[in-house]
Amino acid sequence: MNQNLKPEKERLEIAAEKLLSYAIKSGADTAEVCGSYGIKTKITLEKQDYHLASSDDGYSLGIRVLKGHRQGFASCNSTDPTELKEAAIKANEIAGFSPENPHYTIQRGENIPTEAPHNLLDPALTDLSIQTQKEWTQLMVAEATKDKRFKLNEGTLEIGTGLSLILNSLGTHQIEADTAASWSLMGMGVEGETITSFDYFSEISRKATSTPEKLILSTRKFVEEVLNNLKTGKSESYKGLVIFTPRAVLDILISSLGYHLNGRVIAEETGRWGLNDREKRILNSKITLIDNPWYTDRAGCSSFDREGTPTRPMSLIEEGVLKGFCLDHYAAHALNLSSTGHAAGGPSSLPTVSTHTLCLAPGEETKIGLYEKAKNAQKSFLVVHRYSGQSDPVTGDFSGVAKGAEWWSHGEQKYYVQETLISGNLFEALGNDLMGLSKETEIIDSDEESPTLLINNISVTGG
Amino acid sequence: MKSISELLEKTLTNSPYWAEARYHRRNSQSVSVQKGLVKQAKSNLTSGVGIRVLVNGAWGFSSTSDLTPQSLEKALKLAIDCAKSLSQLKKTLVKKLPETNLARGEFKIEGYESLKEMPFEQKLQAVLKAEELTRKNSKLIQSATCLYNEFFEDKVIVTTDGANAISKLARNEIKLGAIASKDGEMAESHESVGKTGSWNCLFSRSSLNEMADNAAKLAVDRLSAPRIPGGNATLILSPAMVGLLSHEAIGHTVEADFVLSGSVAQGKLGTQVASPLVTMSDSGTVSGVQYSGGELLVDDEGVLTKKTTIIKNGILNSYLHNRESAAIFEVEPTGNGRAWLYYDEPLIRMRNTYIEPGNQSLDEIIAFTKEGYLVDCPLGGQADATGEFMFGAQKVTKIENGKLTKMYRGATISGQAFEVLSTVDAVSKEFLLDLGSGYCGKGQPAKVDAGGPYVRCRATIGGVQE
Repeated sequence: MNQNLKPEKERLEIAAEKLLSYAIKSGADTAEVCGSYGIKTKITLEKQDYHLASSDDGYSLGIRVLKGHRQGFASCNSTDPTELKEAAIKANEIAGFSPENPHYTIQRGENIPTEAPHNLLDPALTDLSIQTQKEWTQLMVAEATKDKRFKLNEGTLEIGTGLSLILNSLGTHQIEADTAASWSLMGMGVEGETITSFDYFSEISRKATSTPEKLILSTRKFVEEVLNNLKTGKSESYKGLVIFTPRAVLDILISSLGYHLNGRVIAEETGRWGLNDREKRILNSKITLIDNPWYTDRAGCSSFDREGTPTRPMSLIEEGVLKGFCLDHYAAHALNLSSTGHAAGGPSSLPTVSTHTLCLAPGEETKIGLYEKAKNAQKSFLVVHRYSGQSDPVTGDFSGVAKGAEWWSHGEQKYYVQETLISGNLFEALGNDLMGLSKETEIIDSDEESPTLLINNISVTGG
Repeated sequence: MKSISELLEKTLTNSPYWAEARYHRRNSQSVSVQKGLVKQAKSNLTSGVGIRVLVNGAWGFSSTSDLTPQSLEKALKLAIDCAKSLSQLKKTLVKKLPETNLARGEFKIEGYESLKEMPFEQKLQAVLKAEELTRKNSKLIQSATCLYNEFFEDKVIVTTDGANAISKLARNEIKLGAIASKDGEMAESHESVGKTGSWNCLFSRSSLNEMADNAAKLAVDRLSAPRIPGGNATLILSPAMVGLLSHEAIGHTVEADFVLSGSVAQGKLGTQVASPLVTMSDSGTVSGVQYSGGELLVDDEGVLTKKTTIIKNGILNSYLHNRESAAIFEVEPTGNGRAWLYYDEPLIRMRNTYIEPGNQSLDEIIAFTKEGYLVDCPLGGQADATGEFMFGAQKVTKIENGKLTKMYRGATISGQAFEVLSTVDAVSKEFLLDLGSGYCGKGQPAKVDAGGPYVRCRATIGGVQE
């Protein structure tokens, strides 16, 4: 660990120990502390210009207590003993009047496997000078404003270093440090009377050496995509083939699929599948979905979860067959299984279940091949990149605006459409209506990954 | 709070530059119940001071959770260093902030003490009961949820040019959800309310029992309802849907920072952008409406909030401003500078955004609609700088020959907001602020409310193509 974080680590650990001790002294049977420390410097862009520079640091600590099967939780953003004591008392007070829930549990975490990522800290990023951060921001602004048609509405470049800690009264003690340069831009294209929808992207980099290049390339790609949308036209209404690019696959389909793979949903029987569906074919045999928390260059990377359970890569669906669910201790207890390291949340929230970095495995066809398939089957079709709409996680129905979607007609890309709505159903789209997956995949916002998909029976309503 | 105000004033006397110190203490409590089990019951405390400075035409910001004079001075120095560093890069320097009627004194919204005095246990019991009522309403209900949140906000805002405001308010919200299922089909519903005030003010329109009943019935009704056909149609939007349209599709495009970046509202002041029947406002308090979710007396720049008429009889009348944008446009700040927590800098945000009522009744508007849909029960939505919007609705009812006929499972509606508002040909006298437990997201969340009358217009329904 970088020398500079030693005092902060010590202060966080001392505060966490105190909080744990206060919780037990004030009546808890078992207790768990989730703590964090973060320091960041941020340069904000607004209205095509530099807007604000800021610097902050702070601690946050949350205490979860169990009294029998009753649970209470409280948090504060201070390491002051008086506030910690008040939080411990409050958590016990809440547990005192909360009804029993047999699935609440705090358990001792196992050791983190040696293959897991152990160092997410780059000293060169932690110690980055404000001068270098300014130079990086200038690189991003220069790239974004090269073409005067691009209007930069908002943007940030942030260097953040943090500590995450889980401590419990059964002996779990996990601590992890990480650094990241993260940047985002929101903007639109303007040419004469034509204005595009505004678009947004974010990226992270955990290595100082690779940041400038990644920053320039990601900004360039984003601006190009926004400006493409200036060539606008109308789409027709139809029901049939639609191409979903990786961002659309993740936003519309995979995010909803995550709901049905959440162990708490399985325990509550509010999803499509149950425990008995494991090892059964649930989707098209072309679908393989893996959750991998160990990619160190991705936003979802972590070696342990919100309860201190070590994380590990996990196959959720293999060739359309359901292999498992994402479990925290609560869901695992309810289903009589073991946690898979999917407890999510921070010091001010109770654990929930979430995936880390979902990756939809590539197919066997080329992207060009998928476009050819669509061209041969239909006179016109839509290519969806982004989406603004509703996805009903329960039914799998989705309906919304296809933002910046391409309209292809007679074998060629004609223009980008506005006010075009698409609707369909997740289970049909990833079931019988899935016509193909590309071999090429794309990582979106430095996190999840997907190929391009060709899907049939999607309703397209032109504006 | 007075001692904090003095501490902040003392800290700022050390600043040779314009500076603002904002203390914010938020104590929130939350409980959620699903299928009879408490999923979470928690209490969070976040407090600290954010210091913003304007140095050589550039903004600097720093925050601290430590309220000692030394820590505040360190934060002030850091903010000044940040601003100095940025001023070398800025192309357009921030103008001197306009002199305005800055808030001084104490500002309190009724209900804070009453909500604080009510035991958390009592609220938890009410949430348990509401979830049970929803779940047991019909055999078709497979699962129900109930979530309650409350926030106690204590703030002190001091600026070197004269603001010194102490404010207190409490916000609360309750959300009910139901999932119905039959023969492998599933349908979901949501019902929510959000207010600024006491526990009782949450139920000024519908009791918790009625809300539970509504949530369950809607899920069951949606279960057997058909999917809607897509296309352009005549719609009567409910107050909640009008609120979404006002906030998402118009409100954001008239936030002055978006305007300066090139939103569709740029250069349109004084031009006809909507039907003459449309007058739209954004206000910290709304005449005749108590406890609105976005109620605010002083913004986070220490500016007294006031009513801003965005569109007057169809003509674009004003943008929404913070102090910086007001200086650029040479107008008075409108009290729209808001920050979510102490470590967030104030941004231009809405408060309560609404279309003013008209003089027809809803019944009359339905009776004079040959073919169309009544669209109600919003399910979120988004819009962008072009004014293009997409909203979900849980309940859509067909209108045929002036009568409500069959219900559809729900729909998304879409269009370009100003074009849709130009098609408005009927506005009801019934008026509600009805955004429920809605939050606005713009980098930071903000608690807002929105609404209006029933409004008839034309837009696109996204549905099934045969």
